[in-house]
Amino acid sequence: MGLLVVAILLGILGFIVYNGIGVISWEFLTAAPTEGMTSGGIFPAIVGTLCLVVGSMTFAFPFGVMSAIYMNEYAGNGQVVKFIRVMTNNLSGIPSIVFGLFGMALFVNTLNFGDSILAGSLTLGLLILPLIIRTTEEALKAIPDSYRTGSLALGASKLQTIRRVVLPMAFPNIITGLILAIGRVSGETAPILFTVAAYFLPKLPSGIFDQVMALPYHLYVIVTSGTDIEASRPIAYGTALVLIAMVLVLNLLAATLRRYFGKKIKTN
Amino acid sequence: MITTHNIDFYYGDFHALKNISMEMDANTVTALIGPSGCGKSTFLRLFNRMNDLIDNTRLVGECLIDGQNIYSKSVQVDELRKKVGMVFQKPNPFPKSIFENVAYGLRVNDISNKSFITQRVEESLKAAALWDEVKDKLKKSAFELSGGQQQRLCIARALAISPSILLMDEPASALDPISTSKIEELIYSLKQQYTIVIVTHNMQQAARVSDRTGFFMLGELVEFNDTKKMFLSPEKEQTQNYITGRFG
Amino acid sequence: MKHTEKELQVLKEEVSQMWKLVLSQLEKAKQSFLSGDVEMAREIASREKRVDAFELKIDSDCENYIALYSPVAVDLRLVLSLIKISITLERIGDFAEGIARYVIDNGELRMDNGEVSNNSLSQFSTLNAQLVEDLQLERMFDTLIGMLSDSFVALESENTRISGKILSKDDEIDELYRNSLDILTNYMQQNPAFIRSGLKTFLLIRKLERIGDHCSNIVEEIVFYVDAKVLKHHFKSGELRVES
Repeated sequence: MGLLVVAILLGILGFIVYNGIGVISWEFLTAAPTEGMTSGGIFPAIVGTLCLVVGSMTFAFPFGVMSAIYMNEYAGNGQVVKFIRVMTNNLSGIPSIVFGLFGMALFVNTLNFGDSILAGSLTLGLLILPLIIRTTEEALKAIPDSYRTGSLALGASKLQTIRRVVLPMAFPNIITGLILAIGRVSGETAPILFTVAAYFLPKLPSGIFDQVMALPYHLYVIVTSGTDIEASRPIAYGTALVLIAMVLVLNLLAATLRRYFGKKIKTN
Repeated sequence: MITTHNIDFYYGDFHALKNISMEMDANTVTALIGPSGCGKSTFLRLFNRMNDLIDNTRLVGECLIDGQNIYSKSVQVDELRKKVGMVFQKPNPFPKSIFENVAYGLRVNDISNKSFITQRVEESLKAAALWDEVKDKLKKSAFELSGGQQQRLCIARALAISPSILLMDEPASALDPISTSKIEELIYSLKQQYTIVIVTHNMQQAARVSDRTGFFMLGELVEFNDTKKMFLSPEKEQTQNYITGRFG
Repeated sequence: MKHTEKELQVLKEEVSQMWKLVLSQLEKAKQSFLSGDVEMAREIASREKRVDAFELKIDSDCENYIALYSPVAVDLRLVLSLIKISITLERIGDFAEGIARYVIDNGELRMDNGEVSNNSLSQFSTLNAQLVEDLQLERMFDTLIGMLSDSFVALESENTRISGKILSKDDEIDELYRNSLDILTNYMQQNPAFIRSGLKTFLLIRKLERIGDHCSNIVEEIVFYVDAKVLKHHFKSGELRVES
């Protein structure tokens, strides 16, 4: 069964690589699309996705970690926390297109951010918040209470205990949550559909209120509504490959980071 | 040194300690023994207010340290815990270096004078009879030490902030006999400078290290007496049945 | 050294102190007996209280040691033998006092009869030098003192090689004791006035013989402690040897 899963995964990867590797070139990665997106590169989309990853993480990571700290370390086990926890789980069950719609209503229209990196990042951030909260909470729960009591018994305050003992120990697992979140953010299409993504914008953003292209949306566009769908098929495969590669690289980076911190904690 | 007057303690509706009055003198070792769930650990945790961390508990009565009621509003809990150190059943060194583990209590006290910290770490490790074993690897992780060494590290960590009282909650129950005997020797020597209260399941341990022993059962202090008296000719039949293993 | 070991050392040291005291009691008993020194005998009698106090102290300290430290193996054997040794030493102390009482009684008798020194009664109220010689009482005393001090060395050095030698000395004592029965019987037949005094003398010799037995018991305890062997009742004893 496990082998079957691996086989399917390798099949998909092989299919994408086989079809996409042909178009990958330095130019493909660094140039803007041209000729109705039937040739040229995908550079703006790469940059756009990176912007959205960074933007959404800037918002969701501290917010999510702090929420998790509050819920696990401070709130105790009351009814309120139980309610928050149920709501968080519900939030993660909401379809991503609904987030997109909500983001458009709140950030784009009501707060008047327009279609922008800010609106898109916030929407993606909302989408990813439950995941970060949950993984962080799990990470904190995994720290045995004996370390907390040990620290408190030495006269450390609760905040000192969290900052100096609990968080450093939980850090590798929190990073794991971050990895998952990044993978999810860079692949989501629906939430950016109405909030940030540009159909065709062959220039780089200059600020957080600019629109950007994004890899998944770009892929969607050239597969479904390009000027010449057949002609841009190889580019679609190339884009998919780049998207997968990017997620892979981000994951590897985060994994390295995790291992680094994990080691640092042991030997520090 | 430590005095309790008519202490009653409740976990919710559960009456965990019933009317406990006890006195412990400075520079003595007091052992608390009794079957599991008899309230001895709960009683121990009163003295550094560790029970505060548990929800839905209630305390009636007075608990005085050096004449001051530690449950009065004016007492800062973290200040109290600097004065009343604690060592736990399972060694729980932090995932830091040996040096940083001992320095932790100083650092959270906002002490940043490097030479003072270095000196204090050395003193504490020596007092915990661990210095000779770790002096060459202070930068190594505390997890590289054996269980017994880790426990002595935890004792050193508690000593670093110069408490006057040391609470020990079954400090040797997770250790092998050799480590246990080292810890017991340490306890015996530490009473020169500290007032020690130790909870133990091991009656022989109570006999070996303590000056006075209190026997708890079902939340009541059945007998509190000189350890010699306790183990040679206890006054209460319950005590006799427990320490001879004829219990129940 | 662990504090439990230190406590054990303290215990052993107490027994050593007691031992030295009893040894000096025995030596003084010998001197006062041979010289008829009543003062010295009184001193022995008054110091007997200290021996008793030692026994009580060691007894309770051993009890506490067992209660608190639950000794096993060699430690347990040591504590058990220390208890028995201290009891035995106390008995020996009692006998030393008994000898002292004998000297005091005789001394008082001499005083009473002081004015009539030619009275035939006084002649037989005390032992004459010749009889003391015949009974080899000095040798008996010296042998006992030797046994007691040798066994002390055996405990201190934890060396039991000389235990056989000490035990064989007890046979010597028994031999002298048996001989004394004949000598005294003869003497009393010739001097009927001496019978009362002679019986007292025999009781005294009997005390010395008992001291010998007690010294043997101590050696057995030391062997039990050091070698974990039980010697008691195993070796062939003289016919007058009585286990008590």
